[in-house]
Amino acid sequence: MIICIILNKISAYMQVIVSQENHTLSLRCMLALQDIGKGLKSFRIWLQLAWQDIRLRYRRSALGPFWITLSMGITIGLTGLLYGTLFRMHLHNYFPFFAAGMLTWGFIAISLTEGSNIYFEGENFLKQMKLPFSAFILRTVSRNFIIFLHNIVIFIPIILIFHINVNFYTLISLYGVSLLLLNIIFISTLLAIFGTRFRDIGQVVTSLIQVAFFLTPIIWSPAILPEKYQFAIYLNPFAQFLEMVRNPLIGMPPSTYAIVSTFILTIINATLAFIVFARFRARIAYWL
Amino acid sequence: MSSIILDSVSVDFPIYNLNTRSLKKNLIRFTTGGKLSSNSQCVVVRALDQVSLKIEEGDRVGIVGHNGAGKSTLLRVLSNIYEPTHGTIYYDGKISSLLNVMLGIDPESTGYENIFIRGLLLGLTKKEINSKIKEIAEFTELGDFLYVPIRTYSQGMQMRLAFAVATSIQPEILLMDEVIGVGDKDFFNRAQDRLSQLINKSSIVLLASHSPAILKKICNKILVMKAGKVQWFGPIDEALHNKELVQITGFI
Repeated sequence: MIICIILNKISAYMQVIVSQENHTLSLRCMLALQDIGKGLKSFRIWLQLAWQDIRLRYRRSALGPFWITLSMGITIGLTGLLYGTLFRMHLHNYFPFFAAGMLTWGFIAISLTEGSNIYFEGENFLKQMKLPFSAFILRTVSRNFIIFLHNIVIFIPIILIFHINVNFYTLISLYGVSLLLLNIIFISTLLAIFGTRFRDIGQVVTSLIQVAFFLTPIIWSPAILPEKYQFAIYLNPFAQFLEMVRNPLIGMPPSTYAIVSTFILTIINATLAFIVFARFRARIAYWL
Repeated sequence: MSSIILDSVSVDFPIYNLNTRSLKKNLIRFTTGGKLSSNSQCVVVRALDQVSLKIEEGDRVGIVGHNGAGKSTLLRVLSNIYEPTHGTIYYDGKISSLLNVMLGIDPESTGYENIFIRGLLLGLTKKEINSKIKEIAEFTELGDFLYVPIRTYSQGMQMRLAFAVATSIQPEILLMDEVIGVGDKDFFNRAQDRLSQLINKSSIVLLASHSPAILKKICNKILVMKAGKVQWFGPIDEALHNKELVQITGFI
């Protein structure tokens, strides 16, 4: 007891690291916010690491990271023609729709598959030095976003070839992309933390992503789905986020339903991510 | 005045995916390593066991002990890499840890770029790095090699670079896991000088090491760890006269 009082006096000017068993709710939230703040502040470190990852993958190749653009371009070009012909679609309408969907899906899929690996990837760092836990999420998300930015270049020739209207709606796609980016940060946080504790989650996500690709209107247009099955699109969050990015890109407004549902989902995801991050932040290093 | 106080700090690592029955729910003690125990949920390794310490300004503490005695875990807890499962840590002063100086080195980047990367990881700002970069570059003696990707460097050259950046910081509380040893004879002497300067500048140094020579040279206090517990903590002169301790630690 006396020791406690003495220590309390000391703590008035000393910094304190409190044990996990004594973490109160408010302390957990404060430490989580501190971590996020420091994570955002250390943007030089995670941007550097993200860029380093990309450079290592394409090191000493003549095109460097533009191999990302090229291989995505080839994929979209060929499969777009294939599916367009198979489904007997008007290429003029179908191709931009398909390309915009594939580009956005590429970002979603890679983020989700890599999400559960975020803390393994940073294991060396996590065990050897103090860096904010949020910085590792930002590293992986920003890496995949840089890849997405490389890919989106493909859309410029498509706009020119297919005479897509560049109008006010094109600007909305920026809002759509930002919303998607935010949600990917939140979902990555959840996947990263649970994926570190339960190592099977990565495998589960990888196999679900394959299914989700076919269930989401990417290669098929929502219009070809019979009326009585339309609810499947309304219940599919991927479809809603895709619509927020894809529709403005091809010069169309997103539906009100998509605008409202993605907004609500963003709030839910943010809340969930923060609760889980605040609760388990201190455990991450122990689980590695 | 820098200081560190540990108030019965414990660190428990959970081990999942381990067949609990194979341990038969008995407590098992090893001569090396922490204490393995199993509660109802899962097997737990107690890497630090109720460590209480007071480290004051001017202390140069050498941490000794067998492999797995908790030396690195103690340094990691102090670096705030692991938040303790029990107990409290109080500290005053900026803690800098040099646990792995090669961490984050990018083989595809040039020497100068790597100075920048390592500097950021050590917590320096862009400004601070820019003001130090000339001095660091000079110390490495790598000259024009600093403009070349460091994958072309030899191991020794890479260590020179990492060492030069790591020792350019100004810590208040310095944590080191094994002293960084580097380079050929010529460089070695200069490195020793620079390391001594770094240590002299810091108000508290904690250093885990197996080398009696280094401990005697740098430290004024010795902390003996065994199975996650503090076995002995006191001035180095006393440690040297304590026959039992000398025998346990192999420390002469």
